[in-house]
This record gives sequence, structure tokens and C-alpha cells, in this order.
Amino acid sequence: MSEDIKVDKVLDLKGLPCPMPVVKVSKGIKDVEVGQVIEAHSTDPGSLTDFPAWARTSGNEILKTEQDGEVIKFYIKRNA
Amino acid sequence: MDNKMRDELLNLFRSKINRAMRYYLETCTRCGVCTEACHVYNSMGQTKYIAAYRHEIVRRLYKKYFKARGKIWPGFGEAKGLSDMTLEELFDAAYSCTGCRRCMVFCPFGIDTQMLMSIAKLMLIGANAEPEILTMLADTSIEKGKSLELFKESFLTGIKNLESEVVEKWKIEAGETAIPVDVEDADLLYVALAGAHSIIPAAVVFNAAREKWTLSFFEAVNFGAFVGDPTRTKLIMDRIIAEAKRLKVKEVCICECGTAYRVMKQLSGKQPFKVSSITEVQAGYIREGRIKLDKTKFTDTITYHDPCQIARNGGVIDEPRYILDNLTDNFRDLTPEPKYNWCCGGGGGLVALGDETLDFRMKSARVKVDQVKATEAKILATACENCHTQLSNLNDHYKMDVAVRFLSSMVADALLPQ
Repeated sequence: MSEDIKVDKVLDLKGLPCPMPVVKVSKGIKDVEVGQVIEAHSTDPGSLTDFPAWARTSGNEILKTEQDGEVIKFYIKRNA
Repeated sequence: MDNKMRDELLNLFRSKINRAMRYYLETCTRCGVCTEACHVYNSMGQTKYIAAYRHEIVRRLYKKYFKARGKIWPGFGEAKGLSDMTLEELFDAAYSCTGCRRCMVFCPFGIDTQMLMSIAKLMLIGANAEPEILTMLADTSIEKGKSLELFKESFLTGIKNLESEVVEKWKIEAGETAIPVDVEDADLLYVALAGAHSIIPAAVVFNAAREKWTLSFFEAVNFGAFVGDPTRTKLIMDRIIAEAKRLKVKEVCICECGTAYRVMKQLSGKQPFKVSSITEVQAGYIREGRIKLDKTKFTDTITYHDPCQIARNGGVIDEPRYILDNLTDNFRDLTPEPKYNWCCGGGGGLVALGDETLDFRMKSARVKVDQVKATEAKILATACENCHTQLSNLNDHYKMDVAVRFLSSMVADALLPQ
């Protein structure tokens, strides 16, 4: 977990093939309130482009992306 | 439903009517030949899943609003008005149909259920009643096309991380790139899916065949086609066309994704490049002696599921069998023959809808399970991402005891050193 970001929900998307990570994150973000943050863990390299593109179209915000070995961690703030 | 909405939806209906569609809308004689053709009906036994029944949901609207007799005398010919209830029926018909077109092969008039369901899907979009996940996925793809510069660096980072695995499987010469990207004048542009499984085995085989290739920035899958939106379908397809033209490639090779292949092959129009599936390309490498396969690599009996959009609807039937002939002495084809092959049950966007459709997908594809089990094969190969996911789900659900494999990854695993 990133030290400077308060996370309200963690989504484990490891092992899911495309497009399921972005499908799950678009549903999962609705489980938190506007202004809250989810931390999503994906191993799908496509997430590196899918998540930012989804965030732009859905009005949400990726605060930070971290690579931890095979796992890519996204910190996403619900704005919409 | 208010009149404004009704008129908007009917305008969408009207936009789909061309000569072919009019023929499909006016021709059905309810002969019943299509009854047993649908895997959903065959597996679940409900009348609403008969192809002709699905047609009628759309056809009754056509009779009511586009035919004089239906306007004057709606009872005759069962013309039906548009209501919220009709929208539910349209949804049920369109999103229980995988667009496999098996019914079309049986229909004496060749009525295309997928085309008729495209009217239903477009009207659902107009009413904001389509599965929002599919629209979201389509919009994400379009956004990547619009703002490529923003995503380029992330994409290249992701690709760089895969290169060591490619080299591990097939050594490349000093100075060569394991996964070339953005190479102008390459012969072949490979359009993959986002996952490593779609990129690594393909890269290994391209490198082994000494192909002058480059990887596309964009994923192949066309979610616009799944949701039945012609505008989004075109925008997603146009990203790839523009990239292929910019790089001046001779061939666009689509990964193991049925819809991506059919859309690119049949809807891209006349272009300065040819469109191939990776199965065709790999069969060509074997035929030309550019790669050789180790027939002892896979000893278990192998069967092959023809993805509907690549085989029945795309014509790629001989090539996978040519690959399998070179890959194994234990290939056992499914019965019935490829033209009449049962759909896996995952097409038309159903797999992309994930857990929402899982129960229906399992129930509606029981005939597929029986077909595979009859071969007693231990390896079930296929060449489509949707099919692979659905067949894996079926494997788990029905305990089929098979290994579901992508054909291209089997080719990569069986490569002999040259």
C-alpha cells in the first residue's frame, strides 16, 4: 500500500485476462463513495493502458501507478 | 415510452434497413428448420431461443412501422408496437444470441440472425438499455486511439517487460528486438490482445520465421461490434487501419480473436494491406518451411474448436487443420464438421460480461460440452480469446478434464531449432 494515499478498498485482479481487470475496476469503483480511493492489483500488462483510458472516459482519476514485480498497482480516486 | 423516444428508436431501426436486411425481414416462412440449429435452444429447450422466434421480435416491429399492412391492420401478421416490454424482449433475444450464425447455415433462405439482432442491439443503445460494460470497453478502446501519445510510454513499458520471456523461448540475433513496435515498412503488423499470452507466443513464432514484423499499439478486440454500435465499431477499427497505413505494412495479422478478425477482414473495406488471422500466417510459415514443429511435443489426443467468427463466418477452416497435421499424429476432429460446429456459447459479448452471464453461458453450451467429450481428447485447442475463456469455464463447470490451449501457443511450444 502506498504510504501517502489513504485506500478505502483493495481490488485483487491478479491473474485475470483482458478485459476483466478494467471490467472489475469499473464495477468496483462504484462500491466506494465519490472522493474515496481504490487500490487495484493487476498482472495484465494491458491494464497499463486500459486503466488510464478508462479513467479518462469515466471521469475518475489515477493518482499513482506502481510496479511490484509482475503486479501493477493502481490507486484510483472516484470522481464520478 | 414517450413518442420522442419511440421515433428515435425507429430511426435507428430504419438506418439498418438495406436490401439484405429487408430480405431477412420479409422472407421467413417459419419452416422450423432453424429450431434445432441454435446451441442455446438445443441446450435449454426454451422456445424463445429458436432463431425464428428471435427474428420475430424484430420482425413484428418492422411490420408495425415499416409495412403498410401492419400500420393499417396490425393484427394480421402479428405486427407489434414498440414499448418498454418490447425493449426487454429485444434485450433477451439479442444478448442470448452469440452471433455464431449456425442457424443461418441451416436456414433454406440463409436468413442472418446476427444481422437481425444487430437491429435489436442498436435500438437498445438508443434506449440506453445496452450492457453498459460493453460500451465502457468500446469507449476505452476509442480513447486509446484518440490519445495515443498519453498511453505510448505505459504500453512500451509493458511490452519491454515481456521481451525476456520471448528471448527465453527463441534466441534472436544481436541488435534485433524481440518485440518490435512502431517499425515503418515492416511487412506485417501484428494486432494482439492486451495480455502477455497473446503477445509472447506470437512474437516467438514471428522471430523464428524471420518475419519482418511490428506490434500494433492497439488491441485487436472490437467491443463496438459486440455491443452492435456501427460508429464505435468503425472508430475502433480505424485506429488499426491508420496505424497500418502509417507504417506502410503489407499485411495486418489479427491475433486469436474471432470478432477482431471478422470485423477487420469483412468491414475494413479496400485497403493497401491484406488482412490475415494468425492461424493463416502460422500455417503459411509451416508450408513455406520457415518454421518446423516437433510432433513429439504433444502426445495426448488433440481436438480443435473452430471459433465461429474465424471459421464459419471467416472461412479459415483448412489452416488450423494443416497446423495440427504438422503438430500431432493424434488429432481427432469434432463432429459435426466445422461448418456445422457448435458455438462455444461465449460470443456476442457474453464472455466480456463476465460473471453476469456465467450461469447462462454454462447452461446454454451443454451441446458444446457433449461434442468435445465425444472425442475423448485431452487437449482442446482453439484460436479465439472468447472461445478460450468460455471453454475454460465449461471445462471447470462440467469437469471435462481437458487442457484448453491456444493453437498459436502450441505452435510456439513445439518449434524445432532451424
